[in-house]
Amino acid sequence: MIKAEHISMEFKITHDRINSLKEYLVTRLRGKLEYEEFWALKDVSFEVQKGEVIGIIGRNGAGKSTLLKVISGILKPSKGEIMVSGNIVPMLELGAGFDSDLSGRENIFLNGSILGYSERYLRDKYNEIVQFSELKEFIDVPIRNYSSGMLMRLAFSIATVIEPEILIVDEILSVGDEAFQRKSRARMLELMGGGTTVLFVSHSIEQIKEMCDRVIWLDYGQVKMIGDSKEICEHYQNYMS
Amino acid sequence: MKQKKKVTIAQGCALVIVIYSILAVCFYFIGGEQLKYTPSQEYKATEKSTTTIGEIRRNMTVMQTFIAQTDEVQRVSLLFATGGKQNPGVALIRILNMANGKVLAQKNVVLSSLANNAYTSIGFDQPVKVNKGETLGLTLNVPNSEEGKTISVWFDAGNTFQGGGAWFLNGVKQQGTLCIIYSGRDKILFGDYYWDLVIGLGILLAIYCINLVVKQKKGKRSFGLNLIATFLKYRFLLHQLVSRDFKTKYKRSVLGVFWSFLNPLLSMTVQYVVFSTLFKSNISNFAVYLLTGIVFFNFFSEATGMGLGSIVGNASLITKVYIPKYIFPVSRVLSSVINLLISIIPLIIVMMITRTPITPALLLLPFSIVCIIAFCIGMSFLLSSAMVFFRDMQFLWNVVSMLWVYATPIFYPESILPQKYIFIFKLNPLYHFIRFARTIILNGVSPEPKAYLFCLIAGFLPLVIGAIVFKRTQNKFILNL
Ligand SMILES: Nc1ncnc2c1ncn2[C@@H]1O[C@H](COP(=O)(O)OP(=O)(O)OP(=O)(O)O)[C@@H](O)[C@H]1O
Ligand SMILES: [Mg+2]
Repeated sequence: MIKAEHISMEFKITHDRINSLKEYLVTRLRGKLEYEEFWALKDVSFEVQKGEVIGIIGRNGAGKSTLLKVISGILKPSKGEIMVSGNIVPMLELGAGFDSDLSGRENIFLNGSILGYSERYLRDKYNEIVQFSELKEFIDVPIRNYSSGMLMRLAFSIATVIEPEILIVDEILSVGDEAFQRKSRARMLELMGGGTTVLFVSHSIEQIKEMCDRVIWLDYGQVKMIGDSKEICEHYQNYMS
Repeated sequence: MKQKKKVTIAQGCALVIVIYSILAVCFYFIGGEQLKYTPSQEYKATEKSTTTIGEIRRNMTVMQTFIAQTDEVQRVSLLFATGGKQNPGVALIRILNMANGKVLAQKNVVLSSLANNAYTSIGFDQPVKVNKGETLGLTLNVPNSEEGKTISVWFDAGNTFQGGGAWFLNGVKQQGTLCIIYSGRDKILFGDYYWDLVIGLGILLAIYCINLVVKQKKGKRSFGLNLIATFLKYRFLLHQLVSRDFKTKYKRSVLGVFWSFLNPLLSMTVQYVVFSTLFKSNISNFAVYLLTGIVFFNFFSEATGMGLGSIVGNASLITKVYIPKYIFPVSRVLSSVINLLISIIPLIIVMMITRTPITPALLLLPFSIVCIIAFCIGMSFLLSSAMVFFRDMQFLWNVVSMLWVYATPIFYPESILPQKYIFIFKLNPLYHFIRFARTIILNGVSPEPKAYLFCLIAGFLPLVIGAIVFKRTQNKFILNL
């Protein structure tokens, strides 16, 4: 389903970012375009089977989000190869492409199309999305008038209405009020039960233990450990404390 | 709910071929004469004039011979002298083939309609078919002239008609040349080979279609199939992005879409007032001339201005979801297309007010629109990728597009540059699109075949270059956003 082979991701960090033509010319003329190489991922390899739920843990800046971006095709790895079969819905951040001037209804179609849903699918599922989000009559109000919780509800409802083959989730399960959190957790479990492959980043070890089959532990861009979730989580907790 | 039937590749191809055939036939009729002939230059016997030949009497025959330089002769001009009087009667003007003396064309002109000491142009009812290089004769008689109430023509004793020719009075050869000008049109190969070309291209198209269908059946990949597949896959996204741009643009403005309508009209009015005294005399129908230029240029500046920021402006999306990045510049340009289409309405209204004839040639307008769209998409590819690396691109572009207005004949006539510097205009892609549209709108005829070629090149070459640059740099975008 997903196969990563020796993936490395390099970022070039310039100390003074060159953003203008003048700066570029000046540095070019001086002959030194100084930057530091920074490897956000180093030689990461793993395989994920269909239907598995994989947790990814690690400290801040370990490279978790970067790995998810590589898998969803947003970043091209500097080295190595990634093979993915099946359609991916990336939930790196909810509500990508929401436009604050448009109504909730219009945003459902906009955001849905960005996530790659077809028009027919969205029309069929429209009611389901509105119902799940519990926005009711607010759906025709421009979303700049929504509270941040309402916004997240709408985004979560759009992202999970589909039953994708691969779902990529980056720390988004703390959405909305308590009732909605329970509901969204249930929805995630439902998706996982339905055979969707899930890659899942969270800092809540409890959540990871509860939901995941296997865990990848990233540290400074490298795979520190990979294996059964309970086992790795214990190691991780010992390491961190 | 709307249910769209699935169209297979084979059906799609068949549709394309049918549309192609229909367009080819329609184009033949709309393009008409312009596809077969190109207007010739004016051939002038002499720049000077010394004296008139004296009154032309009843039994006098004035003749000027010249070597035909065109395939057809349509007009001749003579420098008449009428003495400022209203002369009665008519003049008979004929074109002869000197080899066999045959009369190729003749025309009666009322004497009172002739200008005094200025060239009067006389058009024949039918273009006169001649052979290039043969000697023709232009004869002038005034069959019922009355003494003191007739005309004369000027001649130049010091020069002869370039390429050969002389003038005769009652068959006797005289010194110098009469002051005449003739013009006509030349046949172009394109017209002769139009159907061969259409059939040839049709066959190529059919072969390519068959190739696509076969490849699809065998499950092979090909560039064309990929293109169709991505288009189908991202059509809905494109539609959503365009409608977002459009909706948000006017969402909180009072007049809304009406601005797209008013904007070109207002700038036309201002520029009309400012420039009409300067250039009006050189341009017939200055209002329409101006508005056509404004509508096209506004589209260009809006589309490239929006396209410029399309990648940087959508940074939050690009770093979070995988979408082919070319969607952004393309969608921005397409949203400006909607504005362009809306602003064509005021153009047509002004055409009607100024009584510019509305002809079938207007159906050719989409051609120049498609070409300018291709050009703008290409420019947006270039600009948006440059913008990712150099944020000051937007300031630079503001300046460049401001200068571009002045470099393009929008509010001034092309004739502002001497003929030999016209190539400066020709290097400017916008010039070709605007000139193409103006020929259609102002003259009501199709431009010459070369203009189509220029438009295609000016539109699609930048598109290809832009696409290549964009493709090469797009993987680095995300590291700079
Ligand atoms: N576009 C970029 N340019 C330069 N460096 C980057 C870029 N994106 C990420 N990085 C660096 O890569 C490293 C890994 O970042 P990443 O976002 O993957 O961490 P993370 O594991 O998701 O952290 P967190 O738990 O805080 O979400 C960080 O040190 C970050 O500074
Ligand atoms: Mg992260």
